[in-house]
Formats: sequence, structure tokens, C-alpha cells
Amino acid sequence: MMINDILVPEAVIADLKATSKKQALQELARRAAEISGLHERTVFDVLMERERLGTTGVGNGIAIPHGKLANLDRLYGLFARLSTPVDFQAIDERPVDLIFVLLAPESAGADHLKALAKVSRLLRDRATCDKLRGTDNAEALFAILTESQEDRAA
Amino acid sequence: MAVSDQLILFGGALLLLSILASVVSSRVGAPLLLVFLVIGMLLGEDGPGGIDFDDFGSAYLIASLALAIILFDGGFRTPFAAVRTAWGPAAALATVGVLVTAAVTGLAAEIFFADGLLEALLVGAVVASTDAAAVFLLLHQRGMELRRRVSATLEVESGVNDPMAVFLTVTLVEAITLGGAGHVATTIAGSLMLQLGLGAVIGLVGGAVLTWMVNRLELAPGLYPVFVVAAALVIFGGAQSLGGSGFLAVYLAGILSGNRRLRASKLVRRFHDGIAWVSQIVMFLMLGLLVTPTNLLPDLVEAAVVALFLIFVARPLAVALCLAPFRFTPKERLFISWVGLRGAVPIFLAIIPVLGQVPDGLRYFNVAFLVVLASMLLQGWTVPWLARRLDVEVPPHPEPSGKLDIDLPSALDRDVIGYHVAADSLVAGKRIETVALPGRTRIIAVLRQNRVVPLNQLQELESGDFVLMVAPPEHVFAVDRLFMVRSRVERAFAGLSLGDFSFPAEVPLGQVARAYDLPAAAGEREMSLGAFVGAKLGADAAVGDCCRIGNSELIVEAMDGDCVTRVTLRLEAAELSLLPSDWRGRLRRLPGAWRDRLIALPGKLRQRLASSTRAAVGWFKATSHALTTRWREKTGAGKAEGKSGR
Repeated sequence: MMINDILVPEAVIADLKATSKKQALQELARRAAEISGLHERTVFDVLMERERLGTTGVGNGIAIPHGKLANLDRLYGLFARLSTPVDFQAIDERPVDLIFVLLAPESAGADHLKALAKVSRLLRDRATCDKLRGTDNAEALFAILTESQEDRAA
Repeated sequence: MAVSDQLILFGGALLLLSILASVVSSRVGAPLLLVFLVIGMLLGEDGPGGIDFDDFGSAYLIASLALAIILFDGGFRTPFAAVRTAWGPAAALATVGVLVTAAVTGLAAEIFFADGLLEALLVGAVVASTDAAAVFLLLHQRGMELRRRVSATLEVESGVNDPMAVFLTVTLVEAITLGGAGHVATTIAGSLMLQLGLGAVIGLVGGAVLTWMVNRLELAPGLYPVFVVAAALVIFGGAQSLGGSGFLAVYLAGILSGNRRLRASKLVRRFHDGIAWVSQIVMFLMLGLLVTPTNLLPDLVEAAVVALFLIFVARPLAVALCLAPFRFTPKERLFISWVGLRGAVPIFLAIIPVLGQVPDGLRYFNVAFLVVLASMLLQGWTVPWLARRLDVEVPPHPEPSGKLDIDLPSALDRDVIGYHVAADSLVAGKRIETVALPGRTRIIAVLRQNRVVPLNQLQELESGDFVLMVAPPEHVFAVDRLFMVRSRVERAFAGLSLGDFSFPAEVPLGQVARAYDLPAAAGEREMSLGAFVGAKLGADAAVGDCCRIGNSELIVEAMDGDCVTRVTLRLEAAELSLLPSDWRGRLRRLPGAWRDRLIALPGKLRQRLASSTRAAVGWFKATSHALTTRWREKTGAGKAEGKSGR
């Protein structure tokens, strides 16, 4: 499982504008809907439902909203860098500016968890986050997200 | 007169030297106690110091005294919660564990060296107990914070396993000197029970009386800590004279008085910290002085075999056996068996055969000394590294600095604490009503730019404010977390949180299981995460403990008293790994020429190693033979007598 398999260059947003957690998720749901062909509302509801269990703001300015959807054909990733950080009720209470959305088909099972773990591990790396924060165009962000693959593949 | 002046000068200089050496050693990461030991050896008869110290009698006295103080201090800092978590496994390790370790090590010595079964078992008994001083120091150094169950087990074990080892050693020494094990064996069980029972009773009663007296007596404040030390020595000496185990007694008394509200407890704690340091330094320096390094050489081979057996066979076996009925993960078991640190206690115990005039008694001392050196080098040096690798560390608590702490009279169950609000603390810049203080904690006053801010006008806490609070002692830690700057260590840990996603403990397991396709039985789906984790881990759950569910893990992230408040999900359960997870990748990134060379390296190394080993073995055999003969000639008379006497 590589980030390449779930993330396409079009799914990287370099300067998402949002003033709240809800607005950020709405905007992300809209973009996810464009890529995956699902309803914007369905995606948003799934993400919000997951947030109700406990925040996906994992600390250090990172959030990884995710959820399972019935009519999805494969795993979809979506990455956004926020132009201004928003309060995400993150576990360390710091505002969030890097968001990776992961949507999985209802039947993905183990693949869903593997992909999620992969994303989580990638964004837990301080150096990667610093690089992501220092970049403001989508192609470069995509390259950073997918570059460190080879040494992680093992 | 001149002699005593010089002695004072010398003693002071020695202490200074040791303290300064500790600074250097923490840079290098060498185990501190090893440094003291080496300084002692350097100052001894074979080193540049040239001091000839071989008075085993006074060494035994000084070491007993130092051990009593170290054990009391160790008990004093052990919270009840830790004892409650660890008493089962620790008790098993301290009794059955010591027996198994001694027996297995002894049998190995017998098989390899055939000196007689009792003598071999004596070697095993001497090295069977882990060392409280070494374990306490190692586990608390450099802000290493282990899962509570692991660290508590190791600490309590090292505190209570000395009596068993002392008992075994004394019994075996008697059996050897009096000849025949027959009549001794019959009294062993009864005598052991007496030692442990009497030790425990004296310790608990002594601790209670000590606490009661300190809280009743009106003394000059400076005298309270001295009173406590004196009382600890009375408890130790009293128990020993009455035939109980003074080591057990003094440790239990320490636990009891350390956990009761004690007047001037901050003062006592600080004083004890210092005096425990002095005890450690003095004891290890002295043991280093006592040994004659050149005499160690003939026993090198035996000691190496004993050490290897002890570390790689006996201890793991004992740990596996003793911990079998308890819930520990394989990694935790592995870690506990590796931290079977040997320190001053084996060397101290090895003085007993010398004093008991066991034939060839010095040999036990030399073997024990070398085993301890090996254990400190091999285990002591690698423990922090292993803790990280085996994933038994948890993010540490903040370091207590920039904080004011006032003792209230012991009847009031509150502490007064004050903080400078640190800029990157959790409360800085927060509105006062959103700051969630723990229960029964109140703000007394807030000082801003040297003015008291009236509490009814207090809107928010700013960085730099000085906040004075009254809080129950058990919540002080929680308040620390809110107000203090997150330490360097904790920041380094921030990237290494326990798992992937965090949940409040009230969330039903069923919902999480559905979101992540985790297997959960129908009955379990109704349970909250906290209840589920609590049921799986039992009453002694602690932060960092995890239980497996499918291929994932649920980890206790935070607790309030005995109640789990947050649970973290780690999507992929951590596997046992000693190499970095991406080591193959790292290798692959090397340039081709390097890679080929690396692949060829093991073969080359093996050749080089084989040839140099052959050379070394030859040299070693010749030298040790020469030394042995010389040593035999020197001590030949006593040895011959001893052998023929049996």
C-alpha cells in the first residue's frame, strides 16, 4: 500500500480557506465528492459521525478525518493545507493546518486500516510536516506526500 | 592529628571526584554506579591510587549501613499504587525467582567447574538478587518513564529480593563451614519464614510508629530528617538482631512512612535523596577499593560463564516462570528479564563467605565482582535503548521546575502549590472558565506584574502570571500538567504518542469496532471503551498498558485514579522489533559499491574474528595459567587446607 494508490495529484489542495472545523470538513467533503462522484452531503455526514466518536485531530496541527462509505469503488485520499489554522478540538488543543481525508469502501476491511496507519505514520513524521508547511503549491505537496515511500515500503 | 586532617581531605576529595565524575558519565551514558566502582578500583592497590584496603569486616558494616539507607529511601519513594500494581509479580520474583536463579546459575557453575555442589550453589546464591540501588537509579535516570506495571515490578522486586538472597547465602555458608547439608536443610524452611515474617512485622510496625512519632514530636525542623534516618537504622538493626530480615523491614518501613502524610515530608525527601546518593557513592567506592583487580584474573573464565548463564539463561527462566500467572506482554517479560541488574548486593553478599571463613572464600568475592561488572556494562548500558526498542516507555510527566510547593500541617489533606504560567503551557491565554481544574482544587490568588488580581475580575490566565492554588496531593500531578512548560523530553515524545486515534473512555466499543472492522463479541459491543479495556487489563491497569483487538491495539492513554479516561487506538499492533522498521530500506538506499562491501562484510569479519579469537585464546590461556600458578603459590597453604578439610 502506497500513498500513490490512494492519492491523486488533483486531490491535493494547497490553500484551503476555512474558519472552523465544520467549514473545513464541508469544503473537503465538496472536493471529495468531485473526485469520487459521491454526494457531498453523504461524505460530510460520514466524516462528522466519525468526529463525534472522538476527534481525528491527532496533535501537532494534523487531522486525519476518515470514514467508510457504501458506494465507493476504492480508497480515496484527499490532502489539504489550510491557509489559516482552525480549531479542530485536537488532542493537544493546537489548531490544525494539515488535513488528510481518507474515505474507504464499506468492504475495504484490512486495506482501510493499513492505509490509515500509513497516513498516520507519514504525518507523525516531524520532518515531513515541516516540509509540507513550507510548501504552497499542490504539485510540490503531492511530491512530498508520495516521495518518502521507498524507504517506508519495507 | 595530621593523619586525621589528611583523611578528611582525602575523603572529601574522593566524594567531590565521584560527584564530578557523575556529570561526565551522564554525557557518555555510562551507568553511574559503574563509574563509582571504577573510581574505587583505580584508587585501590593496583591502580594509581595505591590504597591498600582489605578489611572485609568494616566493609561489611559500611555496606550494610549504606544498603539500609538506600532501601529505606527506595521504599520511601515507592507510591502505594505501584506496590498494589506490582506486589504479586514482585513477590514471586523475590522468592521463587531468586531460588530458580540461584539454582540454575549454581548448576551451571557445577557443570562447568565441578567444585562441589554446595560451593557452586553458593556462587549462584550470591549473584541471585537484583540490586535496588542500581535499579532505582537506572529507572529514574534521564527522565526515562516506563509503563507503571513494568517499572513498579522491577523496583519492588529489587527492594524485596535481598532477604531471600541473604538467607540463601548465609545458609549455604553455614552448610559449607559446618559440613553437610543434612541438619541445616531441616531448619531452612522454618528459619526463612521467621526471617521474612519477623522482618515484615518489624518493618510495618516500625514504619507506623516512626510516622506517628514524627507527626507528634515537636522538633527543630532540621531534625526531622535525621530522626527518620536514625529510626530507619533502628528498624534495620533491630530486625537483624532479633533474627528477622532487616532489609525487608527497612524497605517496608520506607514504603509505609513514604505514603503516609508525614510532617516536613518535603524536607525529609530532599535530605534522603542526598543521603541515599552519599550511601551509593560510598558503597560503590568502597567495594571498588576492596577488590584487588589483579586477583580477579584467575577467576575471569568462571565469572564470564556465570555471568552469561545468569543473564541469558537463569534470569530469563526465572522471569518466565514467575510471571507466567500474571498479565505481561512478551515484550514486557523480555524487558524485565533483561533488567536483572546486579549491583552492590551481590558484592556485599560475597563478603559473607569471606567473613564466614569458607575455604577459598575470596574466589566467591572475585566472581561476584566480575559478574556485577559484566551486568552493569552489558545490561546497564543497554537498558534505555532497549526500553525504547521494546516500546515499554510512556511519555514522561513534566519535570517539576518553576514550581512552588508548600507543606501544610499533616492533618490537612491539601498541598499549597504555585506556578508561573509558562508560555506554552495548556492554560496560558485561556479564559478562566474554560480551564478545567481537577476536583477540590482552588485558585487562592493570581499575581500579575506584582499585583494581586481580584479573583472576581479574573478573566483569563496570561503567561507569566503567578497562580497560587490549594489542591489535594493526589491531584498535584494533574495540575502540573496544566500549568507547566512541557519538558524537552516530552516535546521529543510528542511525535511518539501512544497510538493513532484517541477516544474518550465513554465511547461504546461497538461504534469503534464498526468504524474500524475490529472483532468484538456481541456482549462486548455494549461496553464502553474504558470498561472494555478495564475488564481486559484487570484492576491494575496503568497508562501505556494495551490489549489486542484483531490486528489493532487499544491503549490506556490517561487515567483519573483507577478509572480509565482516554483510550488510544493503535491501528497496527506493534510487533517485537529490535532493528529500526525501515532498516532494509536504509540499506537499499546505499550506493552499490557500499552495498556489496556490506554484504561481503560478515564473511570477512568472521574470518578476521576467528583468527584473532584463536590468538587471543592462546595468549589468555598462557597468561591466566601463569597468574594462576603464581596466585596458588601465594595462597597455596590456605587453599590446600580448605580442600583437604572437606
